[in-house]
Amino acid sequence: MAVVDQRCPRCGSQDIVDDELYSQSQLVCADCGAVVSEGLFTTTRSEETNGTDVRFPNIAESNKQPCRNQIKGIHRVRALGRILRLTFLMEETAESYFRKAYEHPNFINVSLQKKEVLAGCCILATCRQHNWPITMGTLTCLLEANPNLIGVLYREMVTTLKIEAPATSVIDLLEMHCQSYKLSPQDVPEELSETSSNLTKRGSVLLELATDAWLVTGRQPIPVLIASVFLAWQSLKPTQTRMKYSLARFCQIAKVPKSSIAPKRVKEFKEVLCKLGQELPWLRGAEVTLHNVVQMVDDILNFRLTLMQNALRSHEASLASETQLPLSTEDCKPGLDTENPTLDDAVSSEPDKDRIQQQGVVDPTDIVVVEGLSCPARDKDLKFSQSSALSRGKRSLFEPPSVTHYKIRRVQLPMKEVTGDEEISDSEIDSYLRTAEEMRDYVEAQEELDSSDEEI
Amino acid sequence: MESSNDVALDIIITNVVAVFRTRCHLNLRTIALEGVNVIYKPEYGKVLMKPRITASIWSSGKIICTGATSEEEAKQGARRLARTLQKLGFKVRFADFKVVNVLAVCSMPFAIRLIDFTKNNRPIASYEPELHPAATYRIKTLKATVQVFSTGSLTVTGPNVQTVATAVEHIYPLLFECQKPLCK
Repeated sequence: MAVVDQRCPRCGSQDIVDDELYSQSQLVCADCGAVVSEGLFTTTRSEETNGTDVRFPNIAESNKQPCRNQIKGIHRVRALGRILRLTFLMEETAESYFRKAYEHPNFINVSLQKKEVLAGCCILATCRQHNWPITMGTLTCLLEANPNLIGVLYREMVTTLKIEAPATSVIDLLEMHCQSYKLSPQDVPEELSETSSNLTKRGSVLLELATDAWLVTGRQPIPVLIASVFLAWQSLKPTQTRMKYSLARFCQIAKVPKSSIAPKRVKEFKEVLCKLGQELPWLRGAEVTLHNVVQMVDDILNFRLTLMQNALRSHEASLASETQLPLSTEDCKPGLDTENPTLDDAVSSEPDKDRIQQQGVVDPTDIVVVEGLSCPARDKDLKFSQSSALSRGKRSLFEPPSVTHYKIRRVQLPMKEVTGDEEISDSEIDSYLRTAEEMRDYVEAQEELDSSDEEI
Repeated sequence: MESSNDVALDIIITNVVAVFRTRCHLNLRTIALEGVNVIYKPEYGKVLMKPRITASIWSSGKIICTGATSEEEAKQGARRLARTLQKLGFKVRFADFKVVNVLAVCSMPFAIRLIDFTKNNRPIASYEPELHPAATYRIKTLKATVQVFSTGSLTVTGPNVQTVATAVEHIYPLLFECQKPLCK
């Protein structure tokens, strides 16, 4: 700061400094504190002598400091990494993704909540790339955010940053999932305890079987995992004590959050196991029910490939025997519409003969042309697709459950036309007429209302 | 639509969305009071009319029609709607008719392994089982989106019917190689 060639009037010192008090600049003596002059309208001359130099680089900073929210986000990424016990390399990768994503125009103006979720998405992408099994459900719990929001942001982030994050398969998730079950001898009685590695081994075999039987594709992974661990636990030691435990109680003792979908998955698993268990030769045709199948799971899993082949063969054989029954013609012309009534009757008891030209294997040329892109009469179309779906479910032994349990769409009943000329029965008319009691009450009420009106 | 393997798949169009303009200001209250089958939602500033086509009418004169099952039906329904508005006393003109979206459903005769399908078509297909049971395949060139379910059903959305058909043809071979019938 240039020294003004003035002297302080009080002490005579030349040490006068330019002091900015708010917006008013004052010349103040540094020794005695006397204000030499104030309220000077600065001219360029005085600014040149009194003003401080502002260097250009300070105005246009090329290396931008990260803003507060970005720093918070980076801390969050690190914290998540620590919670999940990721390696240092993974934390670094996640952080770099977050930095890049944050500064991208797609995300810079997004709400703070989304930026928080973005941190989680970066972690998710990193984990997937390094084959570290983590589910979106875990992230939902950690971030306490809406899973749909996480999904949307994750997809956007992946496309924006152009990274490839292969999804983890359900079987990889199993090991991580098994570790969360508290079934060591310290936590539960000896009878019920099971090591995580045993559960993983048995569970992964069950999952492979389920994948082949179309129970896993398209389903939420966590209920499937819970079902497989539960069945693995029961089948590793199928004692009476363990068999008495339902899925809900099992989740309770293992301190795992319950799921409403898992019981359905358990049932589906057991149905598949029953189908295979039926083929066990030493049962000699004894009935395999959902209750006693768990004891046989061990054997079923050991020989599952052979059992599956046998099951398919016997299913084909049963279908072949059914197709011997006389049904309508075999031609697959567009005149299938006229055959629909017969198809409908046939479907309930036997599979329709038309569709099963070859046994078991799907023959695509069976599909009938239905006027390309137009919309045929809705009810015929419904029956056609219904019958084809049902028969496809019967055609092969293992199909995705939504094909076999085909939802019958509720047909809206046509609204009855009210013309006013309908017959009115005598009893109906009587119900409209007031009884003597009602007439008395009505008259009294009327009088009371009138009197209260007058008062008002 | 026949594809090259001589397989005939029925593509059923379930919805066609179209827009058009009437080039005149519309009084929504009049339409609500005098029109038939009308639902008026003043907070949205629009009106719904339903003779087989549901139309959302804005007071600026822009109308969005949904519920048709073909492009022709959409145009006819829109014209019918414009006629109804004319009868109510507005000086409507049928301008800028455009089909905006077509939604179709198709069913493959085989089940599909979604994880394999996603792996084979990595950046174009995305599959998150925790969020949605189907894999989404976006065809950028056609601007169409196909959702593939493990049962073999597809839902296709695109800007017009031809695009939808092309999209199904495009995706059929990719799906065919990812099917895995249980023959061991």
